[in-house]
Amino acid sequence: NGDVDPAVKALEARQDEILRKLYELKAAVEGLAKTVTTPDADLDVTVSSSLSSQSSSCAIFKGTTNLDALLGEDLGALRDIVINANPAQPPLTLLVLHGLLCQRYRVLSTVHVHSSVSSVPPQLLSCLGPKHADSYARHMFQLGFTLIWKDVPKLEMKFSVCNMCPIEGEANVARFLFKLLAPYPSDPALATLVDSWVDTGFYQLADGSTKERAAVLRALNSALGRGPWLSGPEFSLADIACYCCLLQNGSASSIAANVQGWMKSCENLGHFGPAKLLLK
Amino acid sequence: ITKESIVDVEAMVRKVEQKIESCSQQDVELHIERIFVISQAEPRLPLQLEDAVRPDGEGEEEGRATVNQDTRLDNRVIDLRTTTSQAIFRLQSGVCQLFRDTLTKKGFVEIQTPKIISAASEGGANVFTVSYFKSSAYLAQSPQLYKQMCICADFDKVFCVGPVFRAEDSNTHRHLTEFVGLDIEMAFNYHYHEVIDSITDTMVQIFKGLRDNFQAEIQTVNKQFPSEPFKFLEPTLRLEYTEAVAMLHEAGVEMGDEDDLSTPNEKLLGRLVKEKYDTDFYVLDKYPLAVRPFYTMPDPNNPKYSNSYDMFMRGEEILSGAQRVHDAQLLSERAQHHQIDLEKIKSYIDSFRFGAPPHGGGGIGLERVCMLYLGLHNVRQTSMFPRDPKRLTP
Repeated sequence: NGDVDPAVKALEARQDEILRKLYELKAAVEGLAKTVTTPDADLDVTVSSSLSSQSSSCAIFKGTTNLDALLGEDLGALRDIVINANPAQPPLTLLVLHGLLCQRYRVLSTVHVHSSVSSVPPQLLSCLGPKHADSYARHMFQLGFTLIWKDVPKLEMKFSVCNMCPIEGEANVARFLFKLLAPYPSDPALATLVDSWVDTGFYQLADGSTKERAAVLRALNSALGRGPWLSGPEFSLADIACYCCLLQNGSASSIAANVQGWMKSCENLGHFGPAKLLLK
Repeated sequence: ITKESIVDVEAMVRKVEQKIESCSQQDVELHIERIFVISQAEPRLPLQLEDAVRPDGEGEEEGRATVNQDTRLDNRVIDLRTTTSQAIFRLQSGVCQLFRDTLTKKGFVEIQTPKIISAASEGGANVFTVSYFKSSAYLAQSPQLYKQMCICADFDKVFCVGPVFRAEDSNTHRHLTEFVGLDIEMAFNYHYHEVIDSITDTMVQIFKGLRDNFQAEIQTVNKQFPSEPFKFLEPTLRLEYTEAVAMLHEAGVEMGDEDDLSTPNEKLLGRLVKEKYDTDFYVLDKYPLAVRPFYTMPDPNNPKYSNSYDMFMRGEEILSGAQRVHDAQLLSERAQHHQIDLEKIKSYIDSFRFGAPPHGGGGIGLERVCMLYLGLHNVRQTSMFPRDPKRLTP
């Protein structure tokens, strides 16, 4: 007859169920495998979409920071960090650091377009994420992050116009923002190594000639052969800066094995989403 | 034929080899065949146009005259002929046009409000009295009362452009006794910041319209009165009063948390904001309740502060606005707290007794906005026939 035997149907159903469970198991094992190969990652964020990145990265940076010591006494008003950036060169490193700051502190983020620029593509207007629900009450936030797209020759940061001169250049602003998250390594040799990689990233990887870039990529490959991150066992500003400069460069073609592995590890940490979104 | 006479000319238009630098039409000449004098000007002009257009510094150096403000204002018809004056008032016309167009696009309705009123609307003493048949009446200090009545009459979003009369004996660079007020009032749905956003967006559209379509006029004015170009941010920068006080404290100013900002402090604050954010236009939100008029809505989360705001251009105040008290009971209480006679404002309070939506607004002075946008230093330059305590003509 034309009907399927109910026993066969039941068998098929059990088969489907077993296959489904096998797929689930495969996904879970893949996730765990990534955890094993990526230092410091709690779980592969790209596999589990239900997991928000809220809790995963606070433990990334060890050591404590004191906002009052770094930014001056809290006078009961929003401490607003102002960054003037040229829309032709979006500062990816700073966007990543902004994401990390938002996980550590209550940050009020705003984006403005300065009158020196006639218009800006929409992704640059939304690069700091959606407007905070409490943005009508500025004083409820610990930190302000005000990004102004402006026709400036060099990126600059302003904070306290009476007590601080402006900070120029993405590398230097990145150092300032990073210190709000975690102190530099106490070992001076290690701290210098981090600084050296940050400068290499900005001045040679992002801005350098093809020869310089190739040389840096070789240096990256050999450094990453010695340890999982650029400054050794710990993820640092060096990794953030070099990853973003590499990304901005777009030279994904001939990347050596160690560098590729390191890039995947960076991505698994889940902080580089905003930077990648901007480059789409 | 005397200077400034009006003539009709029949002529041949001929191309020229060399550019004629002193004319606006530089590539052709008129070879006159017949000329008629339509209106003959008197030979002795009260002021020379070349002198009126000369920048101040230049005149002193070369021994040539410039014209002082009183002479200009006494002979306004001739003074308005200068390229600078023409540019200023064409730009002013643009401001009005952009104001109307932007608000109309946002769904606002233009209203006309009465200027002869029976009681001082703001409760202040600076009103002109006019004889009204057998009694007297006053000239309106602002369209405030009527804007609000329109909101209570279900118009939702309104604006009006009209004269405002202030009998203040202030002889300053930025006060007039009669000026053109551009006023906005609107009901909001969730938060009075919707009102701030509407007003600031309107201002930004005006600034953009001037930046993009009136560059020639701006450059002409700058030739005689050099100034820095006007800078702004979109969306507009909004700071809270506590932030302003913190910035001033940091700069060494001594003031209490609930003190009002003095004019020098406003100017200093403008410079600090300009230094940090590079904008000539910003909003200061959440003023202390104690320094605002009785009809200002208090901050529900903090009784020391209010849902009110000021806006500044180049460090000078151009707008004072707020969410209004729309509850008759609360309004009476606030008025009593300010020791205002409830009888005098009975009809105002009555407007809110039969259903009133939460609303807010603010108003700007056309002359002051033009003056500050162009970086000029006296509001009489942007008022065609200015009125102040010492001047009633022309």
